[in-house]
Amino acid sequence: MTTEAHAGPLPRAAAREDAGRRVYRHGILARTAHWGWTLAILVLVMSGLQIFNAAPYLDASDKSNPARRVLAFDAQRVDGHPAGYTIVFGHRIPTTHLFGYADDGMGEESPRAFPAWLTLPGPQDLADGRRWHLFFAWLLFLAWAAYVVSAGVRGKLRELVMRPEDFRKLWPMQLYYLRLRKEPPPHGTYNPLQKLTYNVVVFVFFPLLILTGLTLSPAVDAALPWLTALFGGRQFARTWHFTLMVLLLGYFATHLTLVLTTGFWNNMRSMITGWFVLGKHDGVGP
Amino acid sequence: MKRRLFVASSLSALGLAGCGQVKESLTNGPFRGVLLSTENLNHAVIGTHGLAREYRDADVDRQFRVNGLDTPSDAAYTALARGGFRDYRLVVDGLADRPQKLSLAELRAAGERTQITRHDCVEGWSAIGKWRGVPLGTIVTMAQPKRSARYCVFHCLDADQSGQRYYESLDLKQAAHPQTILALDLNDAPLDLDHGAPVRLKIPTQLGYKSAKWVARIELVAELKPLGGGAGGYWEDQGYEWYAGI
Repeated sequence: MTTEAHAGPLPRAAAREDAGRRVYRHGILARTAHWGWTLAILVLVMSGLQIFNAAPYLDASDKSNPARRVLAFDAQRVDGHPAGYTIVFGHRIPTTHLFGYADDGMGEESPRAFPAWLTLPGPQDLADGRRWHLFFAWLLFLAWAAYVVSAGVRGKLRELVMRPEDFRKLWPMQLYYLRLRKEPPPHGTYNPLQKLTYNVVVFVFFPLLILTGLTLSPAVDAALPWLTALFGGRQFARTWHFTLMVLLLGYFATHLTLVLTTGFWNNMRSMITGWFVLGKHDGVGP
Repeated sequence: MKRRLFVASSLSALGLAGCGQVKESLTNGPFRGVLLSTENLNHAVIGTHGLAREYRDADVDRQFRVNGLDTPSDAAYTALARGGFRDYRLVVDGLADRPQKLSLAELRAAGERTQITRHDCVEGWSAIGKWRGVPLGTIVTMAQPKRSARYCVFHCLDADQSGQRYYESLDLKQAAHPQTILALDLNDAPLDLDHGAPVRLKIPTQLGYKSAKWVARIELVAELKPLGGGAGGYWEDQGYEWYAGI
């Protein structure tokens, strides 16, 4: 990233005077990392659901234990018709055609937790699902590490890391987003809500996703037993891994909504070419 | 705003529709070699270090889950089982200076290790069992592997519907790990037929499919390519990793 221009930028007044000016918002590293982990997350979620389908339940325990079941999928025949269920903390929710009994990627519906259009590969194939997942786990880790190290070395992380005063500005910023306040609180490159979200994703979700994933592996458990114990055991780690994935998808939905509503093409251009045109939406970045 | 949403949703619909073919061609196309290379990286980075956690008696699953191919039902195995496996001999041969033929009594006499460990299936579930048997390293050492020997191959008595026999393999380092055992007992009783009687491999530092059941012969070899489908095991031949530590 260049120094002259940060864009979700500067106090609001300055941005207004600058409206229409092109600024170089995202450096090549940030853009590469962004698209690298977008691709990685897409593949990881889909191949992860493929892997999940092989044992479609989650337990809050070390070994598998139905008494500590948090989530499960089930297929049954009801009045002669197949039905799919999602069972959350013991509550059965009918989800036929979507979860539990769904598209199997072979032109039919079968007992299957997640449908073929959500998994990679589509049809049931644990072996290839694992190959995809483990390759892109490395890609995510390397993109993450390259970003954090490089941004850290060049002092860029300082603009991103939450500071105590940012917490006080969270509520005013939220009010601004809700249009209940005219001006956002003064802030640097990133506004306090952006900072919080990016901090949680980059410094909490990504590392925890990687670590909980690693503790599903018997060799990692033997090498780093304290890590597995920290998550409550292998099945509990599997439950955390899945939960973090759902939370990350929640972030992704919010992110996408903001990308779409704060100048879609301008946002896309800035994340592809780096160049962003300052306008009335500045300060409310994705 | 509406137009953008329309464009975005059309793009995603298009993506989903074409996705089946894209996924298929990516999985089996030239990219496949790149995907497979991850296994060597994982083997190099994670490898086999430390000891799998050992549990207390209270943690044991009394009804240990049965998984894998069907229990052998051929005449030879049925006869062995009817005789209480008195006629069973574990063959250790291949690149060995002193090939072995060991009865169950000889196996029990060779050494003993009891471990309560977690069995982690590649499907994602886990179960805890109390395994008692003889360290594999002890048996391999008895056979005196030649310098050219690099792997132990486990030839098993079970076969799938098409007649393909189960087999597995470990390198000699994995075989020498203190928790890699030839199990004879599960939960304080001799292995029952469904759990791999009379001898199965138990390697808690790798995924469950490495712990071959119904082991009849251990062959010491220099390379895995000539065996079965060439990948070093029944499930490996179907695309699963040979290094199953992760």
